[in-house]
Amino acid sequence: MTDTKSPPDRRVVLPVDPTRRTEIDKQRVPMSARPYRLLALVKQDAVVRVQKEPDDTVMTWPHLLSIEFLAAGMMSVFLLLMGLFINAPLEELANSNVTPAVAKAPWYFLGLQELLAYFHPTVAGVLTPLLVLVGAGFIPYIDRGNLTATRPSERKTAVVLFTMFCALGLTLTFVGIFFRGPGYSFVIPYLPFFENSSPGLHFSL
Amino acid sequence: MSFLERMDQSIRRSMAWRTLFRQPYPNDERSRAYAVMNNVFLHIHPVRVRQHAVKFAYTFCLGGLSFFLFLVLTITGVYLMFFYVPSATLAYTNILDIQSQVTFGLLTRNIHRWGAHLMVFFVFLHMMRVFYHGAYKPPREFNWVVGVVLLFTTIMLSFTGYLLPWDQIAYWAITIGTNMGGYAPLINTPVNRLLLGGLEVGQNTLLRFYVLHIMFFPLVAAIFLAVHFWRIRKDGGISGPL
Repeated sequence: MTDTKSPPDRRVVLPVDPTRRTEIDKQRVPMSARPYRLLALVKQDAVVRVQKEPDDTVMTWPHLLSIEFLAAGMMSVFLLLMGLFINAPLEELANSNVTPAVAKAPWYFLGLQELLAYFHPTVAGVLTPLLVLVGAGFIPYIDRGNLTATRPSERKTAVVLFTMFCALGLTLTFVGIFFRGPGYSFVIPYLPFFENSSPGLHFSL
Repeated sequence: MSFLERMDQSIRRSMAWRTLFRQPYPNDERSRAYAVMNNVFLHIHPVRVRQHAVKFAYTFCLGGLSFFLFLVLTITGVYLMFFYVPSATLAYTNILDIQSQVTFGLLTRNIHRWGAHLMVFFVFLHMMRVFYHGAYKPPREFNWVVGVVLLFTTIMLSFTGYLLPWDQIAYWAITIGTNMGGYAPLINTPVNRLLLGGLEVGQNTLLRFYVLHIMFFPLVAAIFLAVHFWRIRKDGGISGPL
């Protein structure tokens, strides 16, 4: 923007009908008079001040896609190696008349099977998983204390409760995997000097 | 110009190539934006993502790897379906044939098995990661619920697949699992009959678990995955840094 005030005697008469002279025409002066030109008139109010925040984004291609590609590739190699070197378990043909010495649920249900050793089946097998699943779904609607807090130090209760729950589940599963033998009795694997020791793990994936 | 370079040029200039890719290899911002936007597989991503979202130590790629495992399991599962009949008399023999006769059958079965365990494990880890980042807080509450549904679906996918080899581990693990359902108050008998299709694990159970495993739960998973990914975008990308 330039200086909009100039002495009236320096004004140049333009070949434009005076009634149709625009604001810019009125401001036009010879270059010799002023070494600058008026490019546009901008009213103060019309200027939209854009608060441009520093751009913290990166292009998806290549920054995100390369990481995803690498992760997927590494997972493929890992699965291929596991598939090549470790065979999936397969036992004898199913037989409803022969109960195996050790009958364990898949590992993600072993925590529940472990609970069966302590509680009534209705509690361990039905109410607990139902409560866990429904409770997990309700977490965002229960944890309404500080909705902007994401740091663990700002939400100690949530973090401590969740960690305790995870540790409990992990412990139950761990006991189910390693310390349960024939007839789901308590055994200690590999250590022969214990009375209830078992020579190997009674567990298959 | 060498032979390979000429071949490369003629392929890239051919009409088939240009209709397939529409633009040359993306080297500048504009073409990179188009590459993501115009590709059906990549367009679940925004063109730009926030810097912290691409840090490996923030997400550990857990959700993405869970989805990748889902895709691996779909592909290996479809291959295995060609050689498997859900019949109490044939299933076990089919598995033996897959392991000894089918080309890459043993490898495919192994990958399917280990991938399934890994997927359950990764979905658990993904859920823990999301919790510790408080990423279920507004506006992402409902996406957490969708995630819980997906966790349940993943476990059910793994559990229904567990019976299909029809060996002793499968039979008795499913017997234990379905017995638990029999202890549900009030609805115990109907639930048990519905799951087993009879009084004990048998032919009907195998067919039910097979259909649930190859059709029902994959469809449920696909629908909820679509909602899950859609809502990530609509809720402003993945959650902010700690």
